[in-house]
Amino acid sequence: MLQEFLRRFTGQKRSSDEAKKRLQFSLVYDKLEVNDTTLTDLQTDIVNVISKYFEIDRDALELKVKNDKDVSALVFNTPILHVKRKQA
Amino acid sequence: MEGKIIVVTSGKGGVGKTTATSSIGAALALEGKRVAIVDMDIGLRNLDVVMGLENRIVFNIVDVVLGRCKIDQAAIRDRRIDNLFLIPASQSDNKDVLTTAGVERVAKDLRKKFDYVIMDSPAGIERGFDNSTAGANEAVVICTPDVSAVRDADRVIGLLYARSLEPKLIVNRIEPARVERGEMLSHEDVLDILSIDLAGLVPMDEKVLISSNTGTPLVLQNDSTAGQAFRRIAKRLNGEEVPIEVPNRKTSVWSKLSKTFGLR
Repeated sequence: MLQEFLRRFTGQKRSSDEAKKRLQFSLVYDKLEVNDTTLTDLQTDIVNVISKYFEIDRDALELKVKNDKDVSALVFNTPILHVKRKQA
Repeated sequence: MEGKIIVVTSGKGGVGKTTATSSIGAALALEGKRVAIVDMDIGLRNLDVVMGLENRIVFNIVDVVLGRCKIDQAAIRDRRIDNLFLIPASQSDNKDVLTTAGVERVAKDLRKKFDYVIMDSPAGIERGFDNSTAGANEAVVICTPDVSAVRDADRVIGLLYARSLEPKLIVNRIEPARVERGEMLSHEDVLDILSIDLAGLVPMDEKVLISSNTGTPLVLQNDSTAGQAFRRIAKRLNGEEVPIEVPNRKTSVWSKLSKTFGLR
């Protein structure tokens, strides 16, 4: 128990707390793991939809699963080259 | 009335599955139930040595499933605990000799002969896992408080849910002193992460290795904290209301002081 006090004075972290955080994070990520073909298919679909309205750089875009402290997000990043004119 | 089939599984190996299976089975027999423990780890059998029955094997579960013998011929009766039987795994066969359909058929017959059938699943989530869960009505997942075991437990829990089984969790090898020092995940941490119901908590106990050395049932040792924990788990699985006991050590002056001053 003396160690406990020393730990608090020196500001050391409990390794069990770190284990818990890392586990919670990795389990969420495990469940979000999608296989490559799913991601590729999704990307093609998204590109086709966006291309209806914008001209985009198909080579520069990226699609990834991003994990922050509390949330996980699907991030789609693409430079827009032109806005397409609405067809009459 | 038909018996229940409980599968004991973990995903990760070496977390105490075999000890848990044999102890829960033995403890249920001590409750007066007729119990068969089935070693489903085909090719790597272990339950027989842990239970001290390795010299009495004639037939095994593969023989039963393939129709080479009857259940009664393969079931070895334990001489120390009444109503406790072991159906050993085959040591020479390969996991692929069994099919889920074959196991399901035998499971039906087993339920007629026993009150409880405990299936000891092999580590992993492949064929052996499928076979062990094939005829199961209930599932118990066992893990230790370390990151790899908890992660694997999460995976296995998902797979069991997909098979319409609602598993209960056993946290094994808890070291209260290390939990207190913040060196080990507490059972609350593990439950937070896995969010399933608890079957029980088992402390780290040197008696486990000693009892497997001699092949004697852990649950018969009154001085074994793990053995007693497994007896409570068996009672809970048998439908008795037994409060969850958290492994603890004698509280030191320091820990009392730090609790009083709200330092944790």
